[in-house]
Amino acid sequence: MRETKHGTIMSGNEAIARGALEAGVGFCASYPGTPSTEIAAILFEVARELDVHVEWSTNEKVAMESAAAASWVGLPALCSMKSLGLNVASDFLLNLNLSGSGKGGLVIIVCDDPRGHSSSNEQDSRFYAKAAQIPLLEPSTYQEAKDVTKEAFRLSQKYEVPILLRSTTRLSHSRGLLQTSRVSTKKKRTGIIQERLYNVPSPHLRHRDLLEKMGKIAAEFEKFPFNIETNVKDMNLLLISSGISSLYAREAVQSYKSSRIGHVNLVSTYPLPRHHITELLQRVDRVLFLEENDPFLEDEIRSLSAEFEDIPYFYGKRTGHIPSYGEMNTDTVLNALSKLTGREMRKSDRSQEEFEDLIFDRPLTFCAGCTHRNFYWAIRTVKKRLGGKLVIAGDIGCYSLGVFYDEAMDTMQAMGSGIGVGSGLGQLQRFGFDSKVVSVAGDSTFFHACLPGLINARHKNADLTFVILDNATTAMTGFQIHPGSSEQKEDLRRVKISNLVEAIEPDFFTTGDATDIRALTNLLHSTVQREGLKVLLLDSVCRLEEVKRKPGYIGSRPVQIDESLCKGEKCKICAADFGCPALSWNSDANLPVILEYACVRCGACVAVCPHNAIKEGE
Amino acid sequence: MNDPFSILVAGVGGQGNLVCGRVIAEATVLQGLRPVVGDTFGASRRGGSVVTHIRIGRQDWGPLIPRGEVDVLLGLEPVEALRAAVRYAGSRTIAIVSRTPMPPSNVLSGEQRYPAIENIEGGLASICKRVHMLDADPVFKQIGSTKVLNSFMLGVLSALEDTPLDPKNLKLALSNIMDSDIDLTAFDEGKTSLL
Repeated sequence: MRETKHGTIMSGNEAIARGALEAGVGFCASYPGTPSTEIAAILFEVARELDVHVEWSTNEKVAMESAAAASWVGLPALCSMKSLGLNVASDFLLNLNLSGSGKGGLVIIVCDDPRGHSSSNEQDSRFYAKAAQIPLLEPSTYQEAKDVTKEAFRLSQKYEVPILLRSTTRLSHSRGLLQTSRVSTKKKRTGIIQERLYNVPSPHLRHRDLLEKMGKIAAEFEKFPFNIETNVKDMNLLLISSGISSLYAREAVQSYKSSRIGHVNLVSTYPLPRHHITELLQRVDRVLFLEENDPFLEDEIRSLSAEFEDIPYFYGKRTGHIPSYGEMNTDTVLNALSKLTGREMRKSDRSQEEFEDLIFDRPLTFCAGCTHRNFYWAIRTVKKRLGGKLVIAGDIGCYSLGVFYDEAMDTMQAMGSGIGVGSGLGQLQRFGFDSKVVSVAGDSTFFHACLPGLINARHKNADLTFVILDNATTAMTGFQIHPGSSEQKEDLRRVKISNLVEAIEPDFFTTGDATDIRALTNLLHSTVQREGLKVLLLDSVCRLEEVKRKPGYIGSRPVQIDESLCKGEKCKICAADFGCPALSWNSDANLPVILEYACVRCGACVAVCPHNAIKEGE
Repeated sequence: MNDPFSILVAGVGGQGNLVCGRVIAEATVLQGLRPVVGDTFGASRRGGSVVTHIRIGRQDWGPLIPRGEVDVLLGLEPVEALRAAVRYAGSRTIAIVSRTPMPPSNVLSGEQRYPAIENIEGGLASICKRVHMLDADPVFKQIGSTKVLNSFMLGVLSALEDTPLDPKNLKLALSNIMDSDIDLTAFDEGKTSLL
């Protein structure tokens, strides 16, 4: 956040955090996940100064439960997560809606990731608002992100329902100018816990009560000041948009230069302001929907219009005027307008094919010195030794980049799925499944979602090797602390992975060093050939975290190429197969080169060369 | 000035792409205008392509530049500049591009070939209004670091005519954000490199 005399530049996520502070947030619980992480990270920075409890919880369900507890005793609470996190928390959410969120107020922020820039799917989390029958708000600008968050607290406190505020990548991770108000300095004290915070024995009556509250909220949404209409007097086409799509809609209308296109930016998208929308739809015979991910508004409004005598023509994802997958942008809106009006927009259309030979893919790689590369190198070697009879069930984290590393990973779905999938595969021998099974997880993922899967594997005697790549931090999202982190803050107590694993009593449990490729390969090979449930806890290193802790740190012994031993192009294993960004190839000399500016002197590549041509030392 | 005036920064993770966006945003505010800066930084630390979209105007414009509407393409890497040009540049685009390639692993492995710089320049020239290919290597040698490429390129940007950004504001924003002498030296070198 940088303040100037013209306002402050903030990302959508910073604006949400600021809105929460202006609303007097007292409690924030979150699990990191792109593109949501910065919201809680910013609150961490001011936690002490403004007396806010902020925590990285072990997972999103625990985060939401903790935040609800705070709200139940009167503290305004925020719970932020990425799209996939809401799947984890949804079990609690679909009970909390009926129990009520208490007087403190509970605002749940979910950041969806259309196109899956940093996600394994592109789910639309707005359906959870409908499933839970709770209010849904979608800000469209940086200013709105702040102001609507504040408004969400007011609504939650007034009606004692959790509010779902949804952002998407392009709002969360872009920045713009906004005006701030004062941060609340109201003293935060808890009251007594509310009565009857459960839904039994009559959940149906709790459901009835929730619907009654939602009716009142819908009535407020009819006059919601953030739902802004533009040019709706004399229109022959109405654009209805939500979220960041509203900025694209506005830009497209301005560059289209038609006075007959109206626009409404809908911020309160569930429950719908039915009368407001009905009144608008009766003035127009064509409507175009612009929203990110699924046709949520489009379907809601189509369903509402079934009651009309004259139903306008609706266009959007259901009619193919807007693509049903991927991100929204201004060109998509302009294309739809062209289709609807028959007026082509000028576009210099350079075909990609013309330059295809010149542009190559740039695959993601592990950082220089990352020990995850060592692990995948080792497991690939073991797979070859076993004649390919090895299945690797992966998980979510930096080590997901294993999918780009040859064929070193076979499956990768949700947090904790590696061990769950392994638990299933490890019980299929009697049906003829004859591959060895390796499940992979990182340390933060281990705490988040791996314990039930691991316990299941133990209980059912599944035959598998569970490898925990423990670099002691949540590296993928920017080094957030977790229960197993080696360095804990003073009021936190470390929970050791090894103690938890020992309690489960695997048939074989040992630790290993992921920096030593030769030893690691042999350890993996001997372990997967054992019978039963094996657990390997690998001491791994995140070089980015290392540099953060010890600025300027690199190893002491430089890595060098012995040109007399190197076989050049005929071998090239180091540059072509190992794939370290610090190891490049000099085609003129027909030799590998160590890029000094990128090399962290870990020495991992020394073991990769079959001719001993890579050496450490002066 | 076009409103919006759009700048696209294209490069590879680790080249200081995001810093460019921050500096230009701050300079925009110093100018009394509104910036919108769209980053993609999932890949920023892991060797992937990184583009930053910057919109400058009197209102908040969309965080993605429409096709063909880039006013300045600031290329930190040749192939990344061409990739971005194919998607977003057009007949009004002025491209300022560093000649220094950053070959990815699949080029090192021989799977892909890095194209000749002349061919990239030719491609850019056929898409854009004007192309300036810049050699920052002498500046790296003089300063003793390759990490000043982004500041050098911001200096080049400041020397272009018909942008809404006052060079003084760009330099002030750079010093506010980076507070480093070598970056300011690189900025000054960039500023005179088109002469």
